[in-house]
Amino acid sequence: MSRGGLAALTRWEEPGRGRGRPGRWRVPGAGRAWAGAGLLVMAWSVSSWVAEDGPLVNTRGWPMFVDFFTAALKPELSADFLARIAEATLTTLSYAVLGTLLAVAVGLVAGVLTSETWWASGSGSRPRRAVRRAGWLVTRLGLALPRGIHEAVWALLLLSVLGRDPLVGVLAIAIPFGAITAKVYAEIIDEAARGPFESLRATGAGRGTALLYAVLPVALPDLASYAFYRFECAVRSAVILGMVGAGGIGFELVLSFSGARHAEVWTQVFVLVLLGAVVDRWGAGLRRSGGRVRVSGSVLLAAGLAVAALVHLGPDLARVFSARTAGLLAGLVDELWPPALPAGGWARLVADAVETLQMSLVAATLAGVAAVATAFLAARDGGGPVRRAAGAAARGLLLFTRSLPPPVWALLALFLFLPGPLPGALALAAYNFGILGRLCAEVVENLDRRAHDQLVASGAPGLSAFAYGVVPPAGGRFLSYGLYRWEVAMRETVVVGVVGAGGLGRLLEDQRVAFDFGGMAGTVLTLIVLSALVDLVSTAVRRTLR
Amino acid sequence: MAAVSLREVSVVYGDRRAVDGITLQVNPGERVALVGPSGAGKSTLLRLCNGTVVPSSGRLRVLGEDPARLPAGRLRALRRRIGAVHQQLHLIGPLRAVHNVNAGHLGRWGRWRALRSLVRPLQVGQAREALARVGIAGHLYSRTDRLSGGEQQRVALARVLVQDPDLVLADEPVSSLDPARADEVMRLLCGLMEETHRRRTLVVSLHDFDLAVRHCDRVVGLRHGRVVLDLPADEVDEQARERLYDLGPDR
Repeated sequence: MSRGGLAALTRWEEPGRGRGRPGRWRVPGAGRAWAGAGLLVMAWSVSSWVAEDGPLVNTRGWPMFVDFFTAALKPELSADFLARIAEATLTTLSYAVLGTLLAVAVGLVAGVLTSETWWASGSGSRPRRAVRRAGWLVTRLGLALPRGIHEAVWALLLLSVLGRDPLVGVLAIAIPFGAITAKVYAEIIDEAARGPFESLRATGAGRGTALLYAVLPVALPDLASYAFYRFECAVRSAVILGMVGAGGIGFELVLSFSGARHAEVWTQVFVLVLLGAVVDRWGAGLRRSGGRVRVSGSVLLAAGLAVAALVHLGPDLARVFSARTAGLLAGLVDELWPPALPAGGWARLVADAVETLQMSLVAATLAGVAAVATAFLAARDGGGPVRRAAGAAARGLLLFTRSLPPPVWALLALFLFLPGPLPGALALAAYNFGILGRLCAEVVENLDRRAHDQLVASGAPGLSAFAYGVVPPAGGRFLSYGLYRWEVAMRETVVVGVVGAGGLGRLLEDQRVAFDFGGMAGTVLTLIVLSALVDLVSTAVRRTLR
Repeated sequence: MAAVSLREVSVVYGDRRAVDGITLQVNPGERVALVGPSGAGKSTLLRLCNGTVVPSSGRLRVLGEDPARLPAGRLRALRRRIGAVHQQLHLIGPLRAVHNVNAGHLGRWGRWRALRSLVRPLQVGQAREALARVGIAGHLYSRTDRLSGGEQQRVALARVLVQDPDLVLADEPVSSLDPARADEVMRLLCGLMEETHRRRTLVVSLHDFDLAVRHCDRVVGLRHGRVVLDLPADEVDEQARERLYDLGPDR
């Protein structure tokens, strides 16, 4: 991954990557079988939504929809409002900065503790090795739980303990991000030079010293690069957290939306797009150059931002550690356990789980198809002025779609459709299209072009050379990103469910409003099981094709 | 008409003359080896021949045409008649061998035919025959990146066979192979030049002087972008070799 790039970074997050010999699990005809199964499930999902009794289309929403888009031309720009938005944006950024820093700190410690290098090193007696193996497994599994729960769910849980406190936003990011960062850091550490580490250990150096001398210097650029990538994600998450009630620009967005003040919404949308563009550009520049100056500059900037964020949020740590909070936490844990079934019993839970799976699959498929179609256009590969203008337009579209969080897309979809899984799936598709399209475009940009160039040099027409020399090498990466986004979309169904888009997300929101904490715990557990299921299927797809 | 003819051709990159006033004529059916130390201009010379590098000055004709002056359509028609084998092969890893061989048809096939063949391979018989001729008939449906280095080399050769060009350019085709295998691949490559009614022209750059002498009709030695040796293979002696590789002061 020293070659940098977003594509290389997200690869660390894929489950079961690189394990085992390629071709070992390969099944002939698996590609067609998976594609067929996927299409069948797609067809079944969409037809079941359409066949559902009751109307699908929101007939009264159309004038609102038109009104919304005409407001784009005259966003609210009054000084008062802009000041409020600036303040809210600062709050959102503060969540992202502090949440990321905390997550990286957690990730560093937990990453070392969950690395195989840490646990499996040296020889030792057999029982000691067994203890080490068990230690590695326990810490790994311990991280799977916080990672499987979406930031928004963490925010909902934390809100009921801490109330409307700025720390909710910070912690809701820090907990799941800390877990994923730990997993990725463990992989980075394991991949960085095993040899030097072992040889230092052989000379009698302790585990910590050996790690510090032999592994850290090699792994540092990757670790830093991933931390900044997490920050990019944290900014998007912080907006969503605001929409769930943690304050910041997301919260303002919900207020303006529910008041149908579309001019205000557009101002917020433009701010989000601008924020997205700045953060993306910063991260991309960092990865491209990878120069020491740029990195240390960014580290300094991060430290400065952290101080600013602390001052801005002014978190009251005394409150967090107060007896009242402890009491509330104990109460919450008490109510969460044991998990309970929702009002409709198993039937409702299973039906909602199936709906969630359908939504995630439809969303990922739509996003994938649209992203692949756009990626070749969005990739920066020179060409004439027309080609370049089209490329810039495609990149703009991708930036726009990924800058608006899924709940915003869901609210927009609800202008056109009545609440249900369809608008939810469309919302997730729009958002993930923006993210996937950017990833795929980067794959295209980083592709080895020599095979393609050779085809051109032997007289192949442009389209044929493209179909043979560019599409097949890119296809494997595309599929693997599509599967990765499917898992993410699965977790994100929660945040579109909150605005009424169906599936387990809506169930969770209903339970929260009714203070049914046992039910919430049951729903969250179901979500974790679904995540594991999606993980299993996508690992199987990858393995049988590899 | 010569297959390739250069008159006083130079290629200048910045202030470096990669090819410095070369005059050279390659006759149809000839097998010419380009030898010389690294950076002598062998690759640039080959890239001049398929029109990916344009001369900075001088006159170039490839199969009777000037690649730099041709409109796009005629350039493609010319390139169809030029086959290429590279050190890095430039095969498409994730595709099956049959598609990589069929890529030799792309210059002739229309777009739709090319796309259709990706779904269900066309002209499989011809592809199988080509793979059989290079000795790996059994790998028709193997994924190319799962084949060994030597097998991939053969897939690249089979592609050239299917393309059926008049001129074959090979840039260090055997430099990643061990001596015994290199000899075998060179024999295969030269064998592919012999067709029933004609003989293809081969221009191949080689690191190994002995391979050049053993397999080619003519040896052209390059140094600093200039031709310093041009002899029929059977007239090359120890003295010529020393002159080419001599490490003393030059010019």
